[in-house]
Amino acid sequence: MVTEEQIEHVSKLMKIDIDDHKEYVDKVQTMIDYFDVLDSADVESEEISMQEITISNLREDKYVPFNEKLIDKLNNYKGTYVRAPKMS
Amino acid sequence: MNLKISALEFVQQVQNGNISAEDFVAKTLERIQSIDDKLHAFLFVNEKAIDQARDIDKKIKSGSKVGACFGMPISIKDNMCIKDSKTTCASKMLENFVAPYDATVITKLKEQDAVFVGKVNLDEFAMGLTTEFSAFGSSKNPWNTEYVPGGSSGGSAVSVSAFECVASLGSDTGGSVRNPASFCSVVGYKPTYGLISRYGLISYSNSIEQIGPLTRTVKDTAFMLNIISGLDPNDNTTIDNKNEDYLSGIDSGIEGKKIGIIQEMVGEGTDPTVLSATKDAISKLENLGATCEDVSLDMVKYSVAAYYTIAATEAGSNLARYDNLRYGYDFSVEGYEFNSYIAKARRNFGPEVKRRMIIGGFVPSAGHAGKYFLKAIKVKSKLTREINEAFKKFDLLIAPTVPILPFKIGEKINDPVSLFLIDINTVTANLTGKPSISVPFTISNGLPIGIQLLADSMNDKLLLQAAYALEQTITLQEVPI
Repeated sequence: MVTEEQIEHVSKLMKIDIDDHKEYVDKVQTMIDYFDVLDSADVESEEISMQEITISNLREDKYVPFNEKLIDKLNNYKGTYVRAPKMS
Repeated sequence: MNLKISALEFVQQVQNGNISAEDFVAKTLERIQSIDDKLHAFLFVNEKAIDQARDIDKKIKSGSKVGACFGMPISIKDNMCIKDSKTTCASKMLENFVAPYDATVITKLKEQDAVFVGKVNLDEFAMGLTTEFSAFGSSKNPWNTEYVPGGSSGGSAVSVSAFECVASLGSDTGGSVRNPASFCSVVGYKPTYGLISRYGLISYSNSIEQIGPLTRTVKDTAFMLNIISGLDPNDNTTIDNKNEDYLSGIDSGIEGKKIGIIQEMVGEGTDPTVLSATKDAISKLENLGATCEDVSLDMVKYSVAAYYTIAATEAGSNLARYDNLRYGYDFSVEGYEFNSYIAKARRNFGPEVKRRMIIGGFVPSAGHAGKYFLKAIKVKSKLTREINEAFKKFDLLIAPTVPILPFKIGEKINDPVSLFLIDINTVTANLTGKPSISVPFTISNGLPIGIQLLADSMNDKLLLQAAYALEQTITLQEVPI
């Protein structure tokens, strides 16, 4: 069962400010209930396939100067720093 | 001037001097002005489009080299970056975000002298399949404006269907190009994963999403694919298609091809009208010399749950960047503690995005990951094995694009599972990376039905040949707007 406390906890983790956690309980529960169909998929022994990309195939990690003052597009900045609220 | 022409007809007519790009773009903007109040396909119109088209006409007249699009008016889903243009993702969160660079697909289209007539509507951050979750209001289906146009690339499909542009680009994470293409009676294409660069597409679920064209004809889709596909150093998931020409040999036909009818996509829950149209399409393909047989993909039953689990998890991670510091709407940082500031800024996400983010936080979390996320990944893996096996026997697979007809705006908005299940026929292509196309097939009681074909990875050319063959068997009525 999805509880209000779980919604509150997850919304905090996802940094979403929600006024009424109860409002989300039913809809999230409905979705989660539907996802329970995965229990009957019989995939316990299935191996997860992954695609590897070797480092040599990656784009070179080098500094590419941006042709404009990107920082000017930000709303809160000082000098070349982004302004962020203080940490408590 | 006839705006109801295909992309290739447009190119030919401009090349021959029968029409000018400027006149055509001007008429297109007039049409947008006159009908888009009813349809709400566009979020923004490019005021410089006529000037850009005029510049292309000048290039043509002066004998300079002109790109393959010759000033073709194209609309772009508003989750792709066009430099110095707003890119909102239909979200209040990005209402004033101006992109500082071009997406690779935009760069490629600019190089070929396309003209972007505007940015078009979508469900917020592409999360939805009706456009009802756009923060700026739903788009309307041009076949009946009381009905949804499908989504999330609803604005793209509406703009092509209603002759507000010649072609459009959408993005397809679980069917978001093919679903609205089916609902609005246009062609919608989801390429092999990696065929088109995602650089500059605002990420929702990176491992499964692709940009794809929406056009009036299959040939136009091949034309667009020729321009926008191929390797991109800015997207390491792109694959080398050796500059494949998707238009050449498109009329090769499908004689001798084996087509599998996916049983899990034509069973319970499929509207009888849609089922009947699918049977009709299968008959037409058989008449063209293909052999059609049933095939079972058992994991399709679990694909929607797997898709939403994976997509929500990736979305939860991708949307973490919207903190109002680097992106987002403006309010001062003064007087706020860090977490409360970000949480306040993120109130601007709409309800569906919040729901999916909560799901995206819930399903991979400690205590739940094994039950949901891990199983979803395993279903994806097993489904891929199943479809790879199917492609050892069949050249192509077929199913209806959407199991039901378009429905009324508001009819399903409060029923998330009912909405989820509309994706059942489209998510398989995303979870397995296979190319898939929706071909407009028939109109029933004034509402369109599309047929979906799938091919094996990198068999995009064969898929387009089959879609073209099917398209040639049908004559569709014109959109009544």
